[in-house]
Parts: sequence; structure tokens; C-alpha cells
Amino acid sequence: MKKTLNYLIVFLLISVIVVSGCSSNTESTGGNDNGKEGSEKTSLVIAQSADITTLDPQNSLSTNGDRVFRNMFSRLFSRDSKMEIQPELVEKYENIDDVTWQFKLKEGVTFHNGDPLTAEDVKFSLERVMNDESLKEYPYFTQIKEVNSIDELTVEIVTDGPMPTLLRLLAKSGADVIPKKYFEEMGLEEFQKNPIGSGPYKYVDWKRDDRVVLEAYNDYFGDKPKWKEVVVRAIPESSTRVGELLTGGVDIATDIPPNEWDRVNGESGISLINGDTTRVMLLMLRHTEGTVTADPKVREAIDLAINEQAIVDSVLKGTAVPVQSRVPEGVLGSNPDLYDSYAYDLEKAKKLLAEAGYKDGLELTFTAPKGRYPLDGEVAQLVASMLGEAGIKVNLQLLESSAFLDVYNSKSNKELIMIGLADGLLDASYSLVHYTKERAAGQTDYYNEEVEKLFHDAGRNLNEDERVKQYQKIQEIVAEERPHIFLFQQGANYGVSDNVQFEPRLDEVINFSDITLK
Amino acid sequence: MKKYLLRRFLQIIPVLFIITFVVFVLVYLAGDPVSLMLPEDASEADREALREALGLNEPFVYQYFHFIGDLITGNFGTSFRYNQEALPLVLERLPATFELAAASMLVAIIIAIPLGIYSAKKRNSFIDLFITGGSVLGKAMPNFWLGIMLILLLAVNYQLFPVSGRGSVMHMVLPAITLGTGIAAEMTRLIRSSMLEILNQDYIRTAKSKGASEMSVVFKHAFRNSLIPVVTIMGLQVSHLVSGALITETVFSWPGLGLLLVQAVNGRDMAVVQAAVFVIAILVIVVNLLTDIVYRVLDPRINYS
Repeated sequence: MKKTLNYLIVFLLISVIVVSGCSSNTESTGGNDNGKEGSEKTSLVIAQSADITTLDPQNSLSTNGDRVFRNMFSRLFSRDSKMEIQPELVEKYENIDDVTWQFKLKEGVTFHNGDPLTAEDVKFSLERVMNDESLKEYPYFTQIKEVNSIDELTVEIVTDGPMPTLLRLLAKSGADVIPKKYFEEMGLEEFQKNPIGSGPYKYVDWKRDDRVVLEAYNDYFGDKPKWKEVVVRAIPESSTRVGELLTGGVDIATDIPPNEWDRVNGESGISLINGDTTRVMLLMLRHTEGTVTADPKVREAIDLAINEQAIVDSVLKGTAVPVQSRVPEGVLGSNPDLYDSYAYDLEKAKKLLAEAGYKDGLELTFTAPKGRYPLDGEVAQLVASMLGEAGIKVNLQLLESSAFLDVYNSKSNKELIMIGLADGLLDASYSLVHYTKERAAGQTDYYNEEVEKLFHDAGRNLNEDERVKQYQKIQEIVAEERPHIFLFQQGANYGVSDNVQFEPRLDEVINFSDITLK
Repeated sequence: MKKYLLRRFLQIIPVLFIITFVVFVLVYLAGDPVSLMLPEDASEADREALREALGLNEPFVYQYFHFIGDLITGNFGTSFRYNQEALPLVLERLPATFELAAASMLVAIIIAIPLGIYSAKKRNSFIDLFITGGSVLGKAMPNFWLGIMLILLLAVNYQLFPVSGRGSVMHMVLPAITLGTGIAAEMTRLIRSSMLEILNQDYIRTAKSKGASEMSVVFKHAFRNSLIPVVTIMGLQVSHLVSGALITETVFSWPGLGLLLVQAVNGRDMAVVQAAVFVIAILVIVVNLLTDIVYRVLDPRINYS
């Protein structure tokens, strides 16, 4: 009998050793030179709360993915740290007429396999994303009508009408240039096993739900990459991310939830750094005939009953900014009058409700997500209790993320629904489309003829100053008519080792070469 | 025995068929995967276009038979989330899952066997009470709590082990202890009660009276006979471990099957859910079969014919 038992134990021991032996080559774990004295740190480790899901930059559509792709691939344009558009692959460009743009590419740009980057690669990449409906980035590129390669380094883009957002789109995720020849030879499946771009860092390895490893591409056409190796790890559990930060296993950890803030701030050697995002938490109000919120007085009362500053200070510990617009500062077309401001007047709210005929109070249904955004459930409960103080009885429907999305997407929400909306293009057109009749139908049922006209005029207006004014005007009208009531601009919270210098960006992208040793 | 094995193998077919049907219906009923793939801002037209491109606008019956047709040829379809074939995605997780399962089982055995036997031998002593109490505690401790505590103590404070990830043997220690203690607790109690029952049997008294040594009585005569219930529990626990230890995998960022499966369920990624459940079902069936075979090795009186 002992024999059987011995066999069992030996078998288990062997299997552990064999299996771990097979995988021991994964031990090129990042941060291996972290904290070692005397040797210059050359490896950067970043921990995200979720892994990338693909190595196809045109089918990702996620912040986590963009943080990797932005460093692996190049685009015609990029955003600098102030979110201004700067040429990246482009040497110079001109607007030939309202719909035709010509771009001269920089000379000497090469992909990671040494092939030169040409106009054909740009044409191939843009045509792929504007034609393949199954790509997640496809919906954003439909305004491009054709892409022509004029000569080896000249690309012409023709849009379906005047398109003031073209350069912003060419700096957005999905506009990444992929090598035509290599991609066609390998096919998508093989390309994803060894993707090649022309960015400052080249692909080494991806272990799903574990890590992506990149290394410096020394022939990069721009500034020399700062790090020899960059590891982007996926660590879903926040306390583990903080644990790795504390032991020097990672240099930067993203998405630090509020319950970890004190711990990160209290430890020596690491700090909490707060940044902004383009995501604005807001309430959508039905203007649909027959609903209580169709009455502008009720909508105003709801707005005045909510103390946004109190929500920011108490629940979010001051890491968000109260706003009265969906377009935060830093996004083209934002209205500074509506940023860092809120309206709160409980007495007036009660008065307005009485005037609207709800002296004895009214009842409405409020749908909100729980677990989709940081502290969303707590914020919703606080909003509900604030509305309660004004005499509005709220039936709060807190839903788990996917059940919430089903309600939102099927437009089956009742009077109020809370959601956080971001802006991937960093252009007001992206956000303000919600106030057009077509997009509002079934959701808020909002319609305003002036907003409709301003939005469509701005969408084809190549004069940027005028366009900004048109968008600012829309925001003023929206703040007045309240199809949305805005709560706050959500912050982004990073835990950062004191060894490195890191500045968060509004688009939440991390350019590895912007991070330096202190 | 051969007939028995053949019958067991044939049973796999209807079991897998039923499992795939149930999973298909449940994932289908869970809702629209497209709404989770595009941002909140996407318009209905964008969602419809993606639905069409992925074949999700077809009626249920069509989608199901399409799926079964592909399945028969060994194709589980393409993952929406990863845009890659589902089965290789699942299979590449197996080494990590097996590695953790084997290490956890080893931890459990190393803890449970000596403690279980010792506690039965010293019945009602202080040590017995201590071990029995400890095993209640081991079973009651939730994995996420134990995992985080182990990280704080042994990885952050004393820096003896890495905090998370998979790589060297050292990476395996903390997750294996986290998973192994729960199993060890259950096994310790089982070995104890099973040993107690057997130590009171007549043949043990006979063995003792004929002058057999204490060690020989305990290990040769008693322990082997106490193993049948232990093997049952081990079989169940191994099935549990190979199907992925979700919480422990999440806490330690261990890229195993459990993590993949839960993310696939959350993303309503039908192809990956199906492939994962299919592979897990086969693993569970194989483990159950092996358990039955081990019964026979342990007790030759068991006859499956």
C-alpha cells in the first residue's frame, strides 16, 4: 500500500517539476533588474487591470490595448501630452480641396522587420479599417471615401464630404499603419503571432492574461526608445497590483480603486497619481411625451437637487471634477464655462417641483450600473438620496454591468439612467452626436432644431474656430434643456513607483518613452 | 473491466451533447455579446453591422445547428473577444491549470496524510483537537482572503515569494498553498474519521495481538483501507482544480483555464465558453474514470464487470 501512496506522491512531484520546467522559460519576467543597486534600470513594468485581447490594433478598441499598440505601431498623426495633434509619420500635408488631403510621409521609416514604410502600407491599413465591418474600429472610419498612393511617400485621402476631424481620426486608435507585404504574406492569424509595426518598441512575446513583452526598436525613426524592455502585465486583482508595486515588481499600476488609495499614499517608495479621463458620468433623462421628465421644470429640479461637489468630495475623495457638459477640458470644442461647475439649490428644486404640479412629490425609476465604473453604485445611491431630499421618490435599479448594458442598449430605461461616456476622438463631435434626433430617438427622445443644425454644420466646417463656437453653443443649449444632467469628469488613478517620473494623459495612453527614471 | 471502460467511454457522447446544448442556450439567453464589445457610445447601426459580420443576427435554431455542424468537424468557432480559434485558446491554458492543480494537490497530501493519521492515533488529545480545529479553520477560510493575506505576509512583508504571475517554481508556492489548504482541511478530517473507524475493527486488534509493530498496523493494515473515501474526495477535488480555480487564479494573476472561462462568460464569448466547458467536461470524465480505477487498485474486491 505504501508503494501506491509513494507512486502517487512521486507522480505529483514529477508532474509539478515537469510542467514548471516546461514553462520556466517564461521567467524573463519583467522588473528583473528592478531595485538592483549599481546597475542602471533598463526595464519598465506596467500593470493593467485587464489584458489586451488581440494583437490586431484595428480590432481592439480598448484603453488597455491602445497603451500597447501606441508604442508598437505608428500613425500618420499623434496627440502630444496636451492633446494637440502633431505629425508622426507625416512630413507635411496639404488640403487640396474640401474633401482631398495629401500627406507626404517621412523618409527612412522602417517596420520592425526592416521593410520601408511606404504610401502603399498606409493605403492598405486605412482601407482595411474602413472596409472590414467586423473590425471594432470600423464605425469610426466610414467617412473616408478613398485612399490613394500617389508615389512611394505620398498618400491622398478623399473624404465623403468636408471632414474637419480627419487629422484627429488619423491620430486615433485603429489608424495604426500595418505592413502590407508582411500582413498579406502571413495572414491575420500568423500576423497576430508575430505582429510588426514601426513604433519605438517591437513585439517579443504575449502570454494571454499574463504579460506582453516589448523591446526597444533601435532603428525607430523618432527619438531613441528610453527603455530596453517594457513588460505590460495583466493583474486583475487590485490589491495584488498594489502588492507588486510595493515589492518593486511593477513600476506603474493603472486603475487603483478608491479602497487602495490610502494604502498607496501611506507607503514609502510609491505614490498615487491622479489624472483626468474623457469619461463623464451623467444621467440621461427621457424627454419622451408622457414621462414626468418631459417637463423642463422637473428636469431642472433634478439637476438642482443634486450636489455634484458633495459627490466628488465624499465618495470620490476629490479625484473628479464636477461638470455641466459632456465635453471636458482638453477635448476640442469644450466650453470652459461649463467645466468645474455645477448647479445646486435644493429650495429652488422643491419650488420647481411644486410649480410643475408635484407638490406632494413624484416617483421615478433610476437605472444605474454597479461595478462598471469606480464607485458607481455608491454614487447612484447618493444621487437617489439627494433626489429624495427634494421630494422625489426614486426606485433605484442597480444592475450588474452586462445587465445594465442590455437595458441601455435596448433603450428600455425609464426616466433616469446613469452612465459614463468617454470620447475616443477627443473631439466634441464624438460626444455631441447624442443630442441629434437620430441618436436620441428611443433613448432620451431629445430634439432641438437649433442643436440639430449646429451639429450638422459643425460636422462639415473646416474652420476650426467657428466649429468650436458651434459646439460650445450646443453645450449651452444642452445644459439649459437637460437631456443629460452631468455629474463629474471621472479621474484615472495610477500607483507609481518613486523611481520613475510619470505624467498621466487625458486620453489615458501611456507612451513608454515619456516615462523616465528619476 | 474492458466492457466497463467501453461503456464509460460511450457515455461521454450524450453527456457532451447535453452539455453543449445547455451551455449554448444559457449563453444565448444571457444576451447580446455585441453590446459588450463596442463602447457605450456606439450607435444601433454600428452594433447591427458588427452583429451581422459575426453572424449573430441569425435565428437561434440556425445558429445552434451551424455550431453543431462545425463542432462535429472539431471546430468550435472563432472567439469574438480574441478573434482567434477557440480551442487553441483553451488548450494553451492547460499547462498552467495542470501545474497549479498538481502543486495544490501535493500541498494537500503533504499536510493531510500525516495530520489525519496522527490525529486519529491521538484521538481526543489536545493535538487531535488542535488539528481538527485547524482543519475547520482551513476549510472556512475563503481563498481570496487567504491568498491576499499570504501575499501581504510572505510576498510583500518578507519578500520570500513573488507576488503574482506564473514562471518559476517560486511563483507556484503561494497559489498552491491557497488552494491546497482548503483541500487538505477536508482530507485531514476524512482520513481521521476513516482511520478511527478502521482502528476499531477486529482485524486491527488481531494484528496488534499477533505482535505487529505500531507502524505496521497503522500504515499497512489501517491506512490502506481508509483510503477509499479519501480517493473519492481527491477525485472530486482534482475535477474541481482542473476546471480552474477562478478566485485563486484572479488573485495571483495565474493565467489558467478558470480565468479564461470567466472572462469568456462575462464577454458572452460563446466559442470560448463552449470549448472550455467541452475540455473541462472531458477532463472531469477522465478524472472520474481514473478514480474508479484507483478504487480497484486499492481494493481488489471492487469489481466493475
